Amino acid sequence: MNTSPVLRHHLHLSVQRSHVAGRRDFLKVLSAAGAVGLTDVLSLRADELRRQGTACILLWMQGGPSQFETFDPKPGHANGGETKAIATRLPGVHFSENLPYLADIADRLALVRSMTTREGEHQRATYLMHTSYLPMASVKYPAMGAVVARELPRPDCELPSFVRIGPQLNVAGGGFLGTRYDPFIVLSAGRLPENTRPATEMTQFDRRLALMARLESAKSGAPPAPSEHEQLYAGAARMIKSSQMAAFDLEREPEKVRSQYGSGSFASSCLLARRLIESGVTFVEAVLGNWDTHQENFPRSRTLCEQLDRPFAALVTDLAERGLLDKTLVVWMGEFGRTPRVNPRGGRDHFPRAFSAVLAGGGVRTGQVLGATDDGGEAVKDRPVTEKDLFQTVYRALGVNSRQEYMSPIGRPIKPVDGGQVVQELVG
Amino acid sequence: MIASVPRKMFLSQFAVAILFAASITQTKADTGPVEASPRDLGTANATPQAAAGEIDRLLQEEVLANLSAGQTLASVTSDQAFLRRVYFDFVGEPPTPGETTAFCLDPSPDKRTKLVERLLADKRFGRNWGRYWRDVILYRRSADQALLASQSLETFLIGQFNGQPRWNAIAKSFITAQGNIYDKGETGLFMAHLAEPVEVAAETSRIFLGIQIQCAQCHDHPTDRWKRQQFHEFVAFFPRASMRRQPTQPPTFELTSFDMGPQRRRPGMMTGRGSLEHFMPNLKDPASEGSLMMPVFFATGDKLPTGTTDHERRHALAAWLTSPNNPWFATALVNRLWAELVGEGFYEPIDDLGPDRSASAPRTLDYLCRQFVAHDYDVKWLMGAIASTDAYQRESRPRRHPDQVPFAANVAYRLRADQLFDAVALAVGVSFDTSSRTPARAGLGFRGGPRFAFAQQFGYDPSVRRDEITSTIPQVLSLMNSPLVNQRITGRQPGGALARLLDGPQDDEAVPVELYLRCLCREPNDAELAVCLDHVKSTPDRAEAFGDIFWSLLNSQEFLYRN
Repeated sequence: MNTSPVLRHHLHLSVQRSHVAGRRDFLKVLSAAGAVGLTDVLSLRADELRRQGTACILLWMQGGPSQFETFDPKPGHANGGETKAIATRLPGVHFSENLPYLADIADRLALVRSMTTREGEHQRATYLMHTSYLPMASVKYPAMGAVVARELPRPDCELPSFVRIGPQLNVAGGGFLGTRYDPFIVLSAGRLPENTRPATEMTQFDRRLALMARLESAKSGAPPAPSEHEQLYAGAARMIKSSQMAAFDLEREPEKVRSQYGSGSFASSCLLARRLIESGVTFVEAVLGNWDTHQENFPRSRTLCEQLDRPFAALVTDLAERGLLDKTLVVWMGEFGRTPRVNPRGGRDHFPRAFSAVLAGGGVRTGQVLGATDDGGEAVKDRPVTEKDLFQTVYRALGVNSRQEYMSPIGRPIKPVDGGQVVQELVG
Repeated sequence: MIASVPRKMFLSQFAVAILFAASITQTKADTGPVEASPRDLGTANATPQAAAGEIDRLLQEEVLANLSAGQTLASVTSDQAFLRRVYFDFVGEPPTPGETTAFCLDPSPDKRTKLVERLLADKRFGRNWGRYWRDVILYRRSADQALLASQSLETFLIGQFNGQPRWNAIAKSFITAQGNIYDKGETGLFMAHLAEPVEVAAETSRIFLGIQIQCAQCHDHPTDRWKRQQFHEFVAFFPRASMRRQPTQPPTFELTSFDMGPQRRRPGMMTGRGSLEHFMPNLKDPASEGSLMMPVFFATGDKLPTGTTDHERRHALAAWLTSPNNPWFATALVNRLWAELVGEGFYEPIDDLGPDRSASAPRTLDYLCRQFVAHDYDVKWLMGAIASTDAYQRESRPRRHPDQVPFAANVAYRLRADQLFDAVALAVGVSFDTSSRTPARAGLGFRGGPRFAFAQQFGYDPSVRRDEITSTIPQVLSLMNSPLVNQRITGRQPGGALARLLDGPQDDEAVPVELYLRCLCREPNDAELAVCLDHVKSTPDRAEAFGDIFWSLLNSQEFLYRN
């Protein structure tokens, strides 16, 4: 059990060797042509090494969580409503009383209280906060997960590089980077993903794959040279049979660890996220929905925070204890925040002007609060951070070059994020 | 090389019955040409066959005379391959084994022409192309609420394509649409973008003109001729078209004219909604109101003063855009349909033409466009003409190397989701559509049903270059393992397609032949048949062995592709 993944890793690397060699050759050619100096090549290599094992987990709060009831409480102000604040591990920093576990690990978090965007409609804002672009008919922008999966490939991983866990979001995926970078959807953590169990016994499954290959070469009359189609089938079959599929089986996790994450589906999603990262997946998005609290904001936010608090805190702690936190960036956000004024139905409405986001791990300077809203939470008072700034920061932390240009299908060069500044206080 | 008479079909009485039925339909029902145009005289109004001859002649001169070293011209396809291709292209699903047999046995020399005429008149033609254009519009939606209009959009398009589809009339319907999205499917183009003027303008230009002028939305493009101001003048045809939302369950939307109200938009708003005129944003000062734009159609220079009504603007634009004075209108459709049928466009991507790109065979394209206009934008004439060319009827190959000349072969590509879904259903002999629960009102249940779920996984934007459409791991997993396919291919399921075959009097050789016809619309070659028989011999359980063959065919690349 302990040796087999290692063996598999080496076997796989030897299969991939031609690919790796090709990439080095490419650098050599560039260098010989004078396009890139030797130091550049070395620093490219160093950069590659540094990025090895880098991963990202996005905790996506669909609907737009209230900053007042989570990370930016305003207990003294009318806008704060009934939500009380509690002290955290950071002197002088208070979270809402709904987040006691996170308050206890505040030193491992970097809280941005000055997020600001201009989009207050769910679908458009969800797209914006997933891609850093507004939706446009002519270009399908890739999601952050697709960009990261593309830029940080993990050749030792037999699972998809971008996995999204939880309720289906109709939002950007691979975009113009291609369906290859679409998220692999896991509707419910704890169960095997859809269609990953063969419809037959494994012996018959193998027999079918072999028959398919034989029929293919009988058709063309050519000696079997694996086509793209066959390679895809081989990849899918390898995934199904991979020992890494065990990552999806949460029952294998010791009870002690499971209990730290608490209960509920989001706890399972967080635990699965950690197991997938550990197995080599590059980007995992775990979705917690129902934050659109137009009515009964206070009780509903409390319930949602109960689902969020312990799993989020356990995830960060667990990653740290396993030595994975330095190379795993955790991002917590939703599409926008909620209005300072409480509406007549006890709800809060959409508010993109001033809200909160959280980063952890990934080499980010944690134990700090960046930016602030004014007393009533109605505007950013200090250090505004736009969606573009946030994307620049995330890409910098992960070592993804945000200035490179991808070519869209109509020949238009497009950057992973266009504009914005890296928030130096977080990653400088 | 061409197996004109299938070997084993006579063994199946069922197939023979269908064979007769199908050949009767072929000879009786399709005597007259579908395209009985009274003006079908002279060279200006060529018949599809005459036009096809001219196209092949021009293509020979323009490109095929200059094949690159090592490049060969593909020969004309076998009847079986032609039949499957033309079925998918015209009616969106494969022929049945009986239809395949009947077509291959038919000795008449003009059977391909007759087949094309028959399929152009088939009700499934409208369904196939209605779904195609629904996808062209909705894959670029900027709001998911647009899916509410999916059903009515499809219904509208099916009606158009099952009648006498005139592309100019269809375009006018979309541009001048008014009314409730559930009753008026032609509101779908506006609904796809909730009538947001910038997006509607960009999509109108892309779909009907093949011009991606929205690239000039933010800056002047270094190579393209259209300037930023020209894009915003084009947007000025649309600010008064408004999508009103009624909070019913599901919500109702109504496309109406908005001719009274504030002339200027509220400064600082992200989208330019709620204003009678369009203002081009000032890039140096985005918060300012920008410059007032007069509606000017960039392709012809026709213009309207500001202050004109929504009705005046959209009707004037519809007339100018579909006028023969505007060459882009015919070119965009001809290029697109040529690409759909031959597998590669004269311009690529198919919706990116414009004065600064060049067509790969300009005289051929020009001839086809002139003929299309002379035939009053008759889409069925155009498709009949293209299908009659050698360029269409050549054997398929994967996409050519960029150094090679185009159109030396038809180009294979992945079936669209609806086509593949129907192909699976026909192969396994089940109808997956829950037709008994057809939504009483269009728009309801738009997310439901196995067809929608299948499209979520297998669908793609039909405007994207087909060699960029690649299969995904979830697609492979679904075909390999999903109950949709796998519950129905075992020989043990009573009444299942395979069980019926195995129960019949057929020998071990007949069953694979039948399975090949069901799945790939052709017979196996000798080597394939030998592999199948060997597999049956070496597998202890006969039903399981045939199930394996069935599975292998449904998972083959050939099944997924239109070849």
